[in-house]
Amino acid sequence: MKEFFSRARVTLAALAVAMAVPLAAIAQQFEKVEGKVTEDIPAVPFVALAYGFIWIAVLGYLVYVARSLGRVSAEVAELRRKLDGPQGKGPAGPGATGRKGS
Amino acid sequence: MRSLGVGLPVAAALAAVGFLLVPGLILTAPIEPLMGVVQKIFYFHVPCAIMLFLSTFVCAGGSLAYLFRGSDKGDRLAAAAGELAVLFGACALVTGPLWGRKAWGVYWQWDARLTSSLLLFLIMIGYMLARRYGGAGGKRLAAALALFAAVDVPLVYKSVDIWRTIHPKTTVVKTLDPAMRPAFWSAFALIVIVWGLLLTLRMRLEATRAAVEELRLEAEDLLEANR
Repeated sequence: MKEFFSRARVTLAALAVAMAVPLAAIAQQFEKVEGKVTEDIPAVPFVALAYGFIWIAVLGYLVYVARSLGRVSAEVAELRRKLDGPQGKGPAGPGATGRKGS
Repeated sequence: MRSLGVGLPVAAALAAVGFLLVPGLILTAPIEPLMGVVQKIFYFHVPCAIMLFLSTFVCAGGSLAYLFRGSDKGDRLAAAAGELAVLFGACALVTGPLWGRKAWGVYWQWDARLTSSLLLFLIMIGYMLARRYGGAGGKRLAAALALFAAVDVPLVYKSVDIWRTIHPKTTVVKTLDPAMRPAFWSAFALIVIVWGLLLTLRMRLEATRAAVEELRLEAEDLLEANR
């Protein structure tokens, strides 16, 4: 008797599981869906990323070139000042305009 | 900035006007029915790709002048254009996959247009690396690389017509809807102005660096004479 009830419990549990799982999943089939189905990836973040990247890259490069130009122009002015200095058209001192430190 | 002449301020003013006008034109341009809003990446993606081609050709022209005539100005032009090729190449190669993710479902496909564009971009990076780290003959080696890159440009352009590819064909600009044309051509003009501005500034930087080198040599000669 005890064994009978045990078997009945197992059978009922198996039936409950079988009813809970969709038939399509068991059958491993593709089923058609009614109506229009689309994978909706929002476009705005892609457009914003694309435009943002372009203008950050261009502005970053512009700042880099402008700053380098300012630095090198200042270096030219400094070298000219030293070369045309009051000490007889020569550099202010040894190593003043050498390659080291510039 | 005094020495930069009249051309640069005028170009900068035009670019500023462009920055104010172009976003409005792009926003009001019609939305493409198949791809939707993401198609608006096109208005800057295509001009960036064209600037990659133009920069590569200018770099090759300057390199030719440097290789066969020893022109320092040609070398400066090539150096400036080479950097711009990398800059605009990066813009085209970043914006394209962002567009592709929405339009094709993937960021990247190893198809003919995308792969040949990446190859061109890598050659231009090689150009810059050869200039910077190539030692004594680095500039000549870089100039030769620029010629290879220029040969690659027609291949990149025609790749969509020669091979089967998912990338739109070269006819896409010619057949553009008339309502989309103002946005496209104004964005193109803006990118061309910005490109010209950057090229001029970058060439000026190279010229000033050359002046520094000359002054240093002059200073060294004076030091030797004073000893």
